[in-house]
Formats: sequence, C-alpha cells, structure tokens
Amino acid sequence: MVTRERIASLRNPWFTASVGITVAIALVAAVVGFIWLPLQHPGERFTDVWDAICSAAGLVRNAPSGAQIVRADYLTTSVEIDPQMLQGASAESIGRGATLALRCTMCHGARGLSQADTPNLAGQYPVTIYKELVDFKTGARASAVMAPLVADLSDADMRDLAAYYAYLPRVASSGSAAGEPPLIVASGAPLRGIAPCGACHGEVESKASAAWLEGQPAIYLRTQLGAFATGARHNDIGEQMRNVARRMTAAEIAVASEYYTSRP
Amino acid sequence: MTHLSTSDNGADRVEHRWATVSVVILVLLVVVATFAALYHGAIPQSRVETVDPRTLHLGGEFIESNLGSAVEPDGAVTVRAIGQQYSFTPSCIVVPTDTPVTFRATSADVVHGFLIDGTNINLMLVPGYVSSLGARFDTPGERLMPCHEFCSVGHEGMWGRIKIVEKAAFARMAAERRRPSCVE
Amino acid sequence: MWNSRRLVLAHLWFAFACFGAALPLGEWQMFIRSPLHAWISNPEWYYRSVTAHGTTMAYVFPTLVAMGFGYFVTEEALKRPMVGLRWAWLGFALVVIGTIAAIVPVALGLASVLYTFYPPLIGNPFYYIGVVLVVVGSWVWVALMSVNMYRWKRDNPGAPVPFPMFATVAGSYLWGWTAVGAALELLFQIIPVALGWRSTIDAGLARVFFSWTLHAIVYFWLMPTYIAYYTIVPRAIGGRLFSDTMGRISFILFLIVAMPIGIHHAFEDPQVGAGFKYLHSVFTAIVALPTLLTVFTICASVEIAGRLRGGKGVLGWLTALPWRNPVMLGAALSFVMLGFGGAGGLINMSYQLNATVHNTQWITGHFHLIFGGAIVIMYFVIAYDIWPHLTGRALESFGLIRAQLWTWFVGMIVLTFPWHWVGILGMPRRMAFYDYTDPAIATQAAWVTMSVVGGAILVLSGVLFFIVLVRGQTAPRTEPATYRFSVAVRPPRALPAALNGFGLWLGLMVALTIVNYGFPIAHSLATPGTAVPAIKVGERW
Repeated sequence: MVTRERIASLRNPWFTASVGITVAIALVAAVVGFIWLPLQHPGERFTDVWDAICSAAGLVRNAPSGAQIVRADYLTTSVEIDPQMLQGASAESIGRGATLALRCTMCHGARGLSQADTPNLAGQYPVTIYKELVDFKTGARASAVMAPLVADLSDADMRDLAAYYAYLPRVASSGSAAGEPPLIVASGAPLRGIAPCGACHGEVESKASAAWLEGQPAIYLRTQLGAFATGARHNDIGEQMRNVARRMTAAEIAVASEYYTSRP
Repeated sequence: MTHLSTSDNGADRVEHRWATVSVVILVLLVVVATFAALYHGAIPQSRVETVDPRTLHLGGEFIESNLGSAVEPDGAVTVRAIGQQYSFTPSCIVVPTDTPVTFRATSADVVHGFLIDGTNINLMLVPGYVSSLGARFDTPGERLMPCHEFCSVGHEGMWGRIKIVEKAAFARMAAERRRPSCVE
Repeated sequence: MWNSRRLVLAHLWFAFACFGAALPLGEWQMFIRSPLHAWISNPEWYYRSVTAHGTTMAYVFPTLVAMGFGYFVTEEALKRPMVGLRWAWLGFALVVIGTIAAIVPVALGLASVLYTFYPPLIGNPFYYIGVVLVVVGSWVWVALMSVNMYRWKRDNPGAPVPFPMFATVAGSYLWGWTAVGAALELLFQIIPVALGWRSTIDAGLARVFFSWTLHAIVYFWLMPTYIAYYTIVPRAIGGRLFSDTMGRISFILFLIVAMPIGIHHAFEDPQVGAGFKYLHSVFTAIVALPTLLTVFTICASVEIAGRLRGGKGVLGWLTALPWRNPVMLGAALSFVMLGFGGAGGLINMSYQLNATVHNTQWITGHFHLIFGGAIVIMYFVIAYDIWPHLTGRALESFGLIRAQLWTWFVGMIVLTFPWHWVGILGMPRRMAFYDYTDPAIATQAAWVTMSVVGGAILVLSGVLFFIVLVRGQTAPRTEPATYRFSVAVRPPRALPAALNGFGLWLGLMVALTIVNYGFPIAHSLATPGTAVPAIKVGERW
C-alpha cells in the first residue's frame, strides 16, 4: 500500500527533510567555499568580500600586468601559427609561387630538389615554408644568404611560394634503404624530454610548422640541430626544438641526420 | 521467521546507528579537508585567468625570455612555464628552498599537465587559461616533472625536470640572470 | 519471460562480445609499456588501443549490460509483457551501429583521442557520431523504463512499484540526465569542429561539460551491480532483503547526488573557480552515503541467510553461508573490491589528497579495481543467474563458474594493487613507454610487471567466462522455474508516496545541477576569447 499524501507539500516530511537538508548543505558549502576559504587564502589580496566571491565563482580576473617582462636580446619568430592555415591553396596562388620561385632555383633546384646542401623544398609543408620565409625576413632566423633574397617578398608572396613548393612532388627514394630508424628517431629519449621525431615531423603525426625531414641533406640537418643546440638558431616557437637539440648527443644528431637523408 | 521479527527493533536500531555513524564519518572527512585547506594552504587557485595560446610567444608574460624563475620584490619566486607538444619550457626549472614559490603556467596548444615527483604539486595546463599554484620546497634535490595528461603521440617523451637549490645558491643564480633556469 | 527474451540476450551477447575484444587489448597495453617489452616503435598504436579499450569498456559494454538487465527486470519484476518492444530493438540497433561507426576510425588510427576525448585534440567525426548514436540508443531505453513503470503504476494504483523496477528506473533517470553533459560537448563543440564547420573550441568548457558526465557515468555502471546486491543476492542464498525502504532511499540518493559532483575530476583545472571545486567536494562526500547504507543492508540481508541456515554467534553466520553458490562467492569478492576501491575513492574526493594522485597511475588502478573489479564481477554474476531463464538451458559448470570468479578477483587484485602503488611513486598516466633504466623510475619496474601478471590472469578469467556461456548453449533444455527477485523481510506495508515515484527526486537532481554547474557553464559561454585552435589527430602527410 502506498500512502496517498501529496509529495510536493510542506506537510510531507520527505519533502521538507530532503529539500531542507539539500539546501542547508549547499548553503553551508557555499559560504565556506565562496567566502570563508578564499578570504583565508594566504597571499591573495581581494578588494572586498564580493571580489572574493566572484573569484571563487570563477569570474575571469586576469592578473594585473604590473610585473616586469624580460625581453630577449635576440629576435624570436613573429609568426602566429594556426593549424588550419595555408590549407587549400588556389591554382592562381601556386602559379604565382612558381614564378616567384624562379629566383630560388640556383640553390634549391629547378623542381625544388637541391643539388647542394640547401634544403629540398619540394613537397614541404606550406606552413613550414611560410614561417621560415617570414623569419628570414624579420631576422628571427639569421642567414646571410637568405636575408637579402626575401627582403622584397610580401606576405602574399610568401604564401604563394609556400603553396607552390607544397604542391611539388617530394624527393623520390634515393635507392639506399635506410633500414630501421635509430632509437633516438623512433622513440626519442623520454627522460631527456625528447619525443620521437615522427610525433611532430609527420611520420606519426604532423605538428603545424614542423618540417618534413625525409630526404633532406644530412649536413643541413646536422647543422640546424647543432644551431638549435647552441641557441644560434632560435626561431622555434617556445624553444620546442632547442629543448630537444640541447639534450641530443653529437652522435645522436649524426645518426638521426643520416637516417632522414636516406629516406624514403 | 519468529526470531527475525522479535529482533526487528534491535536490527532497526543498529541500522539507524550505522547510518548516523556513516554521516558522521563523511562530515569528519569534509571537515578535515576544509582544515587542511585552511592551515596548510592546500587550496586550488583562487582566480580564473584567461590567455591566448596563439600569441604566447609574441607578447605578454609567457614569452620565452620571461619564462623561468623570477624573484619578486618581496623575495618570493614566481616560476613561469609553458607546456607544448612535447616539452615544457624551461625544460629544467630551478627553485630555492624555504621560499614561497608560485607556479604560473599555461599550454601553447593542447591540454597538458604536470606533477613534481615526490611532492603533491600537480597542475593541469588548459590552453586558453593560466594555471597557478603556490608551493614551498624544504630540501634541495632534483626531481622529475612529467607531463601527466595525454597530449597526443609524443606524450611519452614529455618529461621536464626541476632542481631545488639552497636559497643562497639560488640568489647567486638570480644575480647573474634575470630568469634563471637549469637548462644547460 | 514474455516478449523480451531475445532482446535481453542480444544486448548481453553483444556486450560480452565487445568486452571480450577489449579485454586482451588492455593486457597488451599493460605488457607493451612494462619492462617486459621493448619500447614500441610507433607510440600511436598504444594510444589507438587505449582509445579502443576505453571506448568499448566505458561506453558500450556497461551500457548494454544495463539496458539488457533493465529489460529483463521490466518483465520479471512487473510480471507482464514489456511495452515498446519495437522501440527497444531500435535502441539496440542504434547502439550497435554507433559502436561500429566509432570503432572503425579508431582502428584506422584516425581518432586516437582516448575515450575522454581531450579537445582541442580532434579526431575523425565518425568516432564522435558513433558515440552519440550509442548514447541516443541508450536514451530509448531510459524512456522505455519510465514508460513501463508508469503504465504499471497506472494499472496498479496504490501499489508499491516492485523494488527491482524502482531501482532500475532510478538508474535509467540518472543515466539519461548524466549523459547530457557529454552530449552537449559532442554535439555543440566537438562534432562541429570535427566536421570542419568550426576551427576553434573552448577546451575548458568542454572539460566542464565532460565532467558532468564523467562522474555519474560510474554510478550508471554501478546500478546493475547494486540492483543485483539488493534483488538477486538475498534470494539466491536463501535469505531476505533486510530493508526495502533503505534500498529505495539509497537509489534515490544516487539519483540526486551522483551527478552534480563532476568537478572533482577538474580539481587541478584552471578554468573552474575554487568555490565550485569546494562545493562539488562536499557533495562528493555525500555520494559515499548510499554505498555505506548499501553495505549495511546487504550484509544484514546476508546475515539473515546465514542465520536461517543455522549460523549462530557473532560471526558464526559467516561460515554457515552457501559459499559454493556462485552468487554468494561473487558478491563477497565484489564487496572486498568495493571496500578497497571505495576507500580509494574517498581519497580522490578531496582536493588536498587528490593533488597527490591526480593523473598518476593511482587513478587508473582505482577505476579498474572499482569498475573492472567490484562492478564487473557482479555483471558476471547477473549473467550466470539469469542466463537459464533467457536460454532455457541450465548453466552446469559450477566449478568453472567459481574458478572464473576467483580468477577475476585474484587477477584484479594483482593487477590493481601494484598499480595504485606506482601511482603513489609518481608514475604518470597514459605513456606508451617508460625508461625503467633511470634510477628515479627503476623502483616502479617490478610493480608494473606484477600488474602484467594480474592482467594475464584476467584474460584467462575472461576466457573461462566465455567457455561457461558457450557450454551453456549446448546444455540440455530445462524448464526454469519462475524468476524471483529477493523478498524484503518486511514487504512495504505503508510505503510513503515519495518512495514510490521520482518527481521530487528528479526536481532535486535538476536543481542541484543548476546550482553546481549552472554558473560555471553559463559564465564560460559568456566569456569571450577562450576558444583555442583545434588540433587534428591522425593527420599524416
């Protein structure tokens, strides 16, 4: 037999008890959590109780920018990376890029495949090409060779060049099989904070602006890793490559460069 | 069935006593947690702060030259760091003993997080928000600082380090560099 | 049974098939990152497996068990044919289609985002769409539980709803409401980005939405287990349910408090105010209460059985219990794991202790112990108990059944106890490999290896489970007796109306949700500039 009283009524003890206890607990917890505890927090200066309550509730309270910001005595990259940027270039853009690229062929090859120790650009990620061009122009990446060549490139020019080189086919197999990747490439060195190279550079997953490394000249790769390790090259966002290169041994740099140069 | 019904009231009393004991235990747990918050300052950050992960490297307190350990005018230390796929910057953080330390960190891309081995320092880094945590170190040493939140395929390689040095040694480091770290 | 025999069997077979596929993946993961195996050459495979294992074990397996058991209870407790059989089959179809839609991209490496999604990491849209379909299929079940209960009430005015049905409906309402959080995250945030309609996402808000679902989902998983404690165990061992009233109160407490406490999964997050973290912490303490009450009620019910079998003295009733009965064995092993797992949960519930273990392997050890252990062992028990009524054939391998339950228990202890310990030693979660040669980590190596052994025992136990069920398919046909649930010592004579319906409790649940989640969500939506670029996974060039 079920009793027949109304549930939502102050005369129903189940209603009053459950609602009352719930409200009481919520109120006490709110007073403790939103008023009492915040005001006891050492080192936290609230202007008044209302400020403490609002902070505890999660209203955005950005820290006052009173603190001094230390600026670097070198230029860092000015490029803002959006993972979706430079996708889906138009045919016109690629065509304009092809024209602009005529001046690059002396070092970087007619089809973006260099005969010298300069990097192959064919099939490179567009974000990588764009970012490096901007960095050469601003001086965030130092190069006596590249700086004068990019000086008169506009932002649109650099996007077109990126589109063109991305569209070119990548370097074909050099014939000599690379074999198994060395440990430093396949697994990195976790406790030195080195992730597998392919986690960013495309073999496993592609991180925007991280270059495709396969088929690049070994000496170029060694030089760049060495430059990151000393800080001579510092256009990597948030020191992400410097963090890696600093903890690589010279032997690891050599073996990683040899591996990538003989790929695919 | 008879012995069941005669002990009905006894069993009911035990049941009510158990329910009361349960409630008391739970209230005690909450009270203990609250007191820990009060007397040990073990409390989550008191503000929500936002930041744009796209422009961390372009301006503001998280540019690379401003990361590391900053000495405040009152002698406390503020450690600024970012987490990104797949390293922390600075990759080696240095802090002094016996000093109030505040960690301020954020993510440049996806959700990361870190813990400091052997301590209860534990923080999530969510892109778009600044995380902060107060701490104090008693003994010098070197500890691991792994990323403990899945941040995609390089997560297993994301290990930072933290060096706790004597106050005097840290003061010497701070005199030489404005944002000391133990990155070589 | 009336109409739903094949429906229930379909749910349970598909559930256990998915479980059987996901179980060895889990052991492979354990093995691959242990000192016993060299570092895997492509870490993405590990994360792919974690995504598949987690998605199957968290979203598919327990949902189907709850649905199937719920349909069984609907007919057997209400003693009449189920209403809405066609809708139920539609719901099942949605779950199956959703599972396939989700697992295919995961298997192809296009959605290695882990079952917790982790935006701004974004995978293939079909993964998320698949999960949504599974949830929608389960919402059909929620509606049917409700419809069936209310039709029965209408046809039986003034009669108490049979307790198994009352508890099942409570569980279904809890799930229906709790799934809303993840549904909002998926439908309004993640899927639009995965389909390319948007390119940014507020990761903080997504985590808040997910926390809405993340805690109470474990109570949804727990519902069939607790329903079995109350309604199957006392009957199976020849006892009585100590208190029908306390049982109803426990399920009502779960309904109200299980859900609005999810922010304790975000204690260390920067996007939630400290006041709400405290508020959720307090209510999390309250959700321990129905478990404590349940422990008393079930122990008392079991004691009744012991004394009816002649047990005397303060502890003499324990030895008099029918330990060779698989239900008795399973329930006792479940309680042991519930004790340890629950204690771990109490540690996780306060910010202060949580900070030591958050995102360490303690967390993974904890939920494997409580869910994989205490809860899933009762799923096996439920299956063993109701299988003859579904198939019309007896399950005869009692020795094998007991061996299966013991190996599941032992395997789970050996798996999870060292797992908790390495978490305290500071081992972070979800890494494809670890450098055990470093002195700082070397202390963890032996414990991780122990867990591998535990996992292997679990795989063996899983195999035994399937052997029992498959053997049951070829056993001779029997005519099983009418299915009975446990009877209360004092069947409710004057049951308060509040304990026979859900209006008040749903109101409290929604009100608490608004209080505990309303402002954090609304304020997050109103704050500009917190959306960050989405990062697509599985993109290789």
